[in-house]
Amino acid sequence: MPTKLLSELKPGEKGKIARVRGGGSIHRRLLDMGLVSGSEVNVVRVAPLGDPMQVRIKGYHLTLRKEEAANIQVEVT
Amino acid sequence: MSWEEILEAQQRSLAHLRSVYREDAETVIADARYGFISGLMKETLRKPAIERRSISDSIDKVLVNRWLGLFIFLALLYGVFQFTFTASVPLMDWIDEGFGWLADEAGSISPAWLGSFIGDGIFGGVGSVLMFVPPIFLLFLALAFLEDCGYLARAAFVMDRLMHRIGLHGRSFIPLVLGFGCNVPAIMATRTIENPKDRLTTILINPFMSCGARLPIYILFAGAFFTSHQGLVVFSMYAIGIILATIMALVLRKTLLRGPSGHFVMELPPYRLPTITGLLMHTWERGKVFLIRAGTIIFAIVVLVWLLDYTGALEPIGRAIAPVFSPLGFGQWQAAVALVFGFLAKEVVVGTFGTLFAGAEGLGDLGDVVGLELAWTPLIAFGFMAFCLIYVPCVATIAIIRRETNSWRWPAFTVGYTIAIGWIVAMLIYQIGSLFT
Repeated sequence: MPTKLLSELKPGEKGKIARVRGGGSIHRRLLDMGLVSGSEVNVVRVAPLGDPMQVRIKGYHLTLRKEEAANIQVEVT
Repeated sequence: MSWEEILEAQQRSLAHLRSVYREDAETVIADARYGFISGLMKETLRKPAIERRSISDSIDKVLVNRWLGLFIFLALLYGVFQFTFTASVPLMDWIDEGFGWLADEAGSISPAWLGSFIGDGIFGGVGSVLMFVPPIFLLFLALAFLEDCGYLARAAFVMDRLMHRIGLHGRSFIPLVLGFGCNVPAIMATRTIENPKDRLTTILINPFMSCGARLPIYILFAGAFFTSHQGLVVFSMYAIGIILATIMALVLRKTLLRGPSGHFVMELPPYRLPTITGLLMHTWERGKVFLIRAGTIIFAIVVLVWLLDYTGALEPIGRAIAPVFSPLGFGQWQAAVALVFGFLAKEVVVGTFGTLFAGAEGLGDLGDVVGLELAWTPLIAFGFMAFCLIYVPCVATIAIIRRETNSWRWPAFTVGYTIAIGWIVAMLIYQIGSLFT
């Protein structure tokens, strides 16, 4: 299955998180918010100015900047 | 066990986890936690076969729409201000008339000095401050509504790109808007910003958000000197504040507060209908700061101004300071006195002029009298308004900066840099403006 970075996904696209990279506090924050490998993630929309993005994960809505989403590898489904 | 042994044991466990899972410990713990949760959910939760589109999703589809989201945000903000000012005008008139009547009644008390103290000092002074209770409470009420229904998280989502570009955070936006009401609760609201440098920058630029207490100064002078362009002149004050805040944020983030900005990974909660109790609680929590301020600091200053004026001590104080303001065009002792007391609370600037030019009848007339007596031109009045906007936020704001940063360094810095910028801006307005008139 092709893997992409979460930041490269377009609104409406979805996938399964393969890996969360990056170090330090951003890594921990992403894990805390439920962005762990195996989770389904849907890109809902991008903010009017093009950043940040809104995703749906584990049944709730989360917003994160594209630079932060670039730490997440997704298997596109 | 000594701390070295504990540390060693920790390193051993970390290495062990890494060799088994080929992941760092944090990931392993998070995976295990969410693994347990999803197992629990499978055993207990039954979901409908087809997931219904929730109402919240549909609202989001409109409100944070890719094309209209920004305009809707601006329209809502405009609506908040429109609501605040329209709804508060009648309430302000009642308070004004009520205190005017009380002051007149008290004026007949004998002996004369007591009548003057109670009438001009207490009712006149405190009344002019209490007039700003309606707009401040209504602004906080409107913002509490947006916050409680879940829209403010969307506002941060919409604004983050812009805020991030000037070195701030999406969450900086809300405290900045609150600053238009009163800077004190606005600075308290920065506690939701996690990154210390983001938060400190938001605190330090907050005084540039023109608070409700500065509005009467604009109204007084815009009404007297710019009869046909009042709205534009008042608006330009807010614009100057926003431009200065943006520049200062950029400068601070590149100099004193250099460093990475905080993350923007946060939940967008579902929309909810706010409860009346919740709204009133939020409004009261923020608004009471202003009331307490009016009841203590402002009351004390008003009494002091009255006392100094009654004993004739005001003029020498003003004359000593006035030369500093000569290059700005308003080097008269009355203006200097008003500005010195404005340091304690900005609304006192108007009150002080009111005491000094006691012959004037009402706000509209006061502006004309000041202009006539001090021989001010519209240019000088504009520079004076700009100086009032920029120089030192009131003592209460300085005190809250001291409390929120837990040091004297940042409040001292704020006092210094706002006076310097205010002086430079007003000087440039007057000197450059004089070339063209």
